[in-house]
Amino acid sequence: MSWNEFIYFAAAALVLWFSGVVALYLFKKRYFSDLLISAGLIVFASFIVLLWIWLKHPPLRTMGETRLWYSFFLVIVGYLTYLRWRYKWLVAYSTLVSAVFILINLLKPEIHTANLMPALQSPWFVPHVTVYILAYAMMGAATIAALIALYGSSAESEKLINMIDNLVYIGLAFLMAGILMGALWAKAAWGDYWSWDIKETWALITVCAYLLYIHSRRGGYSRKITLWIIPIGFVLLMITWLGVSYLPAAQGSIHVY
Amino acid sequence: MDREGKGRKKTYITELTIVLAVIVAGAALQIVTGPFNSAIVRFPANAVFLLIFLVAAALPPNSVVARLGTLSLSVILISSFLILSLIMGLIPQSGIVNSWPFALTYLMLLTNLVLVAGRRARAFRLKDSGFMLNHAGLFILLFSAGFGSADSGKYFMTVYEGRVEWRGENIKTGQIDELPVAILLKNFDMEEYFPKSIIIDKRSGDAIPSYDWVIVSDSLVDNDNHAPAAYIRASNNKTGDKYEGWVSCGNYSQPFRVLDLTERICVAMAYPEPKSFSSEIEVKRERGSSKSGVVQVNHPLTVGSWKIYQYSYDMQKGRDSGYSVFQLVHDPWLIPAYIGIFMLFIGSVTLFWKGGKR
Ligand code: HEM
Repeated sequence: MSWNEFIYFAAAALVLWFSGVVALYLFKKRYFSDLLISAGLIVFASFIVLLWIWLKHPPLRTMGETRLWYSFFLVIVGYLTYLRWRYKWLVAYSTLVSAVFILINLLKPEIHTANLMPALQSPWFVPHVTVYILAYAMMGAATIAALIALYGSSAESEKLINMIDNLVYIGLAFLMAGILMGALWAKAAWGDYWSWDIKETWALITVCAYLLYIHSRRGGYSRKITLWIIPIGFVLLMITWLGVSYLPAAQGSIHVY
Repeated sequence: MDREGKGRKKTYITELTIVLAVIVAGAALQIVTGPFNSAIVRFPANAVFLLIFLVAAALPPNSVVARLGTLSLSVILISSFLILSLIMGLIPQSGIVNSWPFALTYLMLLTNLVLVAGRRARAFRLKDSGFMLNHAGLFILLFSAGFGSADSGKYFMTVYEGRVEWRGENIKTGQIDELPVAILLKNFDMEEYFPKSIIIDKRSGDAIPSYDWVIVSDSLVDNDNHAPAAYIRASNNKTGDKYEGWVSCGNYSQPFRVLDLTERICVAMAYPEPKSFSSEIEVKRERGSSKSGVVQVNHPLTVGSWKIYQYSYDMQKGRDSGYSVFQLVHDPWLIPAYIGIFMLFIGSVTLFWKGGKR
């Protein structure tokens, strides 16, 4: 067992997962999709276990090894969220992002030998990134729904509002988990759980925006104004995720490698 | 939605006015006395604040203080906090973190939060658990991180192999302080990745991509006290030119070596990148026992209320470094902060589970 066999396991898992997603949409009974997705997870998990035994240490030291875990956890957490909330599209999304990570691992296999810098060698790395990817999905969906509610008829808005609240609550749960894990990681890596680093600051700004939505929804403000917080929050989230490295303020940040 | 329309509007204008007035007062204070110095809330001042917070939270809900715990105030305070953080995120040099307006906003936010949590605690029902975990947890975390951090200390300490050091450079003040903990460095150990061979432009020194040249390196030399070196064979696809020879990145005692390919370009070796570095230490305390252990990045050593982090080493010498630099952090409010973080973790699970249902 080594990375050479990855392609077979990955292909099998992907086929099972994607047929699981298709089954989710085609059949009323959940039986088929449950079976297919679980089987995919077992195949993928077996590869991780066998690789672990072969390496004689947990596969967490290289970028390629970290991607292996994203691919795995994304499908697990996406599927668990589906089991709780019945959002089929989330399973499709998680599987797709998972497939992208698998593809990168297959196309750039030299990554398996390129090692992570010491600060990234942490058990927090994988869950931290995974929950942010899922938060991104929830908030992205909430943004689309909020825009439809804003520009659509009031009947449409009435129909969507509960789902929007739901998406924001679930997304905020992921964002909170992400920022808290970031804090624990920062404490272990450089001695402070909070240091107003630029990326931390932006993560906080994003959380504040969605907190503002949740609280103003309960405060009886105009729905139109309140709903606008969601797309604005999503822009802030995008800056946190992608844009921070390009801000002039990012010079010297510990998060820009 | 609109049932509270007018009344709501009036109260939130009052509250907006109050918050703005406090922020402006903070700005005035800033101009007169300079930036906010967190040293003024050092123990016992922070303990007094905590007591006041808790008493305020326990006061009957119809008192004047309870008006500081309304939801419309929360919305305004979260917005103010958002805007101040946004300025910080755009202009880190703005000094907002150490400004009076920010400190006062933080104070108002904590007051509001503790009153909100106190009110709900008084009529507590099991279905409020998520609410309590989030709000009480956030209060505990923000209190520890804000008021508590005034009691924390951070120091750099440089220790030579085989020696004991007890003086540290205070990161906040830049002064050299004698600390109640001393470190004996038994051994510093470092592993490096074997450096890559790269083609560089001789004039600029920059690495450049070159698709015409095939570089094969063998006979890698990688011993302690020697600079990494490799025997390189380079051949050009197009012209068939072939060169070979030793290449090394050099180190503090040995010069670097390159292999010339043309007038303009040569093969050189990049500097080695650290794979891991760790220090075997023994920590002695003024009072209490000593403790031995290994510290490395992401794996600090905890001794009482001190945490010792691997911070740096002699960069010039790399793995032959004769000393190790530690960061020592002392934070008596760390346990409460962790409790707050833990409560918020569970709180976010309840957010996930309950969703937006009322
Ligand atoms: C981690 C951060 C926070 C989360 C996840 C959160 C979440 C929530 C949720 C879910 C509710 C509705 C709860 C329910 O009705 O059962 C709520 C209500 C409320 N929150 Fe927060 N909140 C947070 C921070 C804050 C902050 C910073 C403030 C104030 C500065 C605040 C003030 C309030 C108030 C006043 C209410 C209404 C309480 C009531 O009706 O009794 N929250 N919050």
